[in-house]
Amino acid sequence: MTPKRIAVVGGGTGGTLLANKAVSLLRSEVSSGRVEVHLFADSSEHVFSPGNIDIAFRGAEPSSFRRPERNLLDRRVLLHERAVERVNLEERAVYVDSERLNYDYLVIATGSVARPDAISGLKETSYNFHTGQEDARRTWEALQRFNGGRVLVLTNIPHKCPPSPVEAAFLVEELMRKRGIRERVEVLFATPYARAYPAAAIAEVVEPLMEERGIRLYTMFNTDYVDPKERKVYSLEGEEIGFDLLITVPPHRGADVVFKSEIGDEEGWVAADKETLRHPKFDDVYVVGDATNIPISKSGVVAHLEAIVAAENIAADYLGTGKVYCYTGRINCPLELGGSRAVFVAATYERPPSRQRPSLMKYLMKRAFPAVYWEMLRGRVDPVFDLYLGKPYKVKGVGGA
Amino acid sequence: MRRVVDARGSFCPGPLTELIKAYKSAEAGDEIELLATDPGAKSDVSAWAKKSGNEVLEIKDEQGYFRIVVKVVRKGR
Repeated sequence: MTPKRIAVVGGGTGGTLLANKAVSLLRSEVSSGRVEVHLFADSSEHVFSPGNIDIAFRGAEPSSFRRPERNLLDRRVLLHERAVERVNLEERAVYVDSERLNYDYLVIATGSVARPDAISGLKETSYNFHTGQEDARRTWEALQRFNGGRVLVLTNIPHKCPPSPVEAAFLVEELMRKRGIRERVEVLFATPYARAYPAAAIAEVVEPLMEERGIRLYTMFNTDYVDPKERKVYSLEGEEIGFDLLITVPPHRGADVVFKSEIGDEEGWVAADKETLRHPKFDDVYVVGDATNIPISKSGVVAHLEAIVAAENIAADYLGTGKVYCYTGRINCPLELGGSRAVFVAATYERPPSRQRPSLMKYLMKRAFPAVYWEMLRGRVDPVFDLYLGKPYKVKGVGGA
Repeated sequence: MRRVVDARGSFCPGPLTELIKAYKSAEAGDEIELLATDPGAKSDVSAWAKKSGNEVLEIKDEQGYFRIVVKVVRKGR
């Protein structure tokens, strides 16, 4: 009998966790050879990308945020350390090195790509910590060389990790104080949103702290272009800001494979139902994490929780249980505010984030998370999260609501 | 051309992100119809439209969400 194949494209948080979860939910089918779980990863190394903040603004060692992908996977996951060229949803096929692999279920977990080249003048003038560990390291080196002037932290949308631009501004300010040159440095923070943080309750915490630390805030600033000669950024709203050192979160786009496969919108995001994570036209295709067009934060937390929901739905469909798992839209993103304090931005599709007091405990939890992350990818930490935060889904259908 | 942007259920990063994404690919004269549940959307979109020189044509309370229509009047300098 030909085994049923689950093909997972993308070896980031969502893809890795989903592959492990699918094996766990279909253990006997996988062990008996009735189901195969294939994971396609571009790289043999898995990078914990939130670590880029620590590399760029604390000088952390990049290798501490990398692990071999194989070591993070259940041994029964069939890992292909090869980039997928394209997928064809009509043919139900994945193409790699001109070879074709047919699937019964496809999971698109191809993430997002920071693209400073998407804005004229941005790439050649800016330091970016969303474009990989090397660039995060260069940002740290630039901050070490900087001896005074104006640092502009510039946010562009869409981007992953909503807290990261605010964190960058606070950590730059803190670093300048630690280096003893704060009085010679202006720190500016420009954001496309109407306030320092998109969620109002969190902005109410962030904005007074920015004022207290002397971080000048520019809201509703959507970058039009950067003039490298003048060293000025111009906005679609008609403003301009000059800089001596430009640190950006560039606009993000979907992965190359999405564009090559012509399965996304103009920015490369793939359509998915925001509850079931299923593609609206192909019921054997699921999309998780940054790759989706769902209006929710592009973050590791979302990729993690969506991967669980999609894996549950694939297993339920294969086993014919009649259950449908619906993601609640839960997010729970740590936001560091400098001074060893942090808050957690927590919300669902129905409940906006609430105001909270920055705390040392939340900061310590954030700093401890990289160590937990590797275990989380194996699905071992979810019972603890569920105990405190509840399940990230509601179940409909047989036995559900 | 009118484009509907459904940002219901989005609180972070929120409806303004979805509106601006649509705005970037719009032409002058286009209309963007934003659906949102975030209570901050009405004031955010109004403030952004005022600053950017675009026009809010309609803000309407629907059952459980808001409908905000923005006309793209200008882009950039």
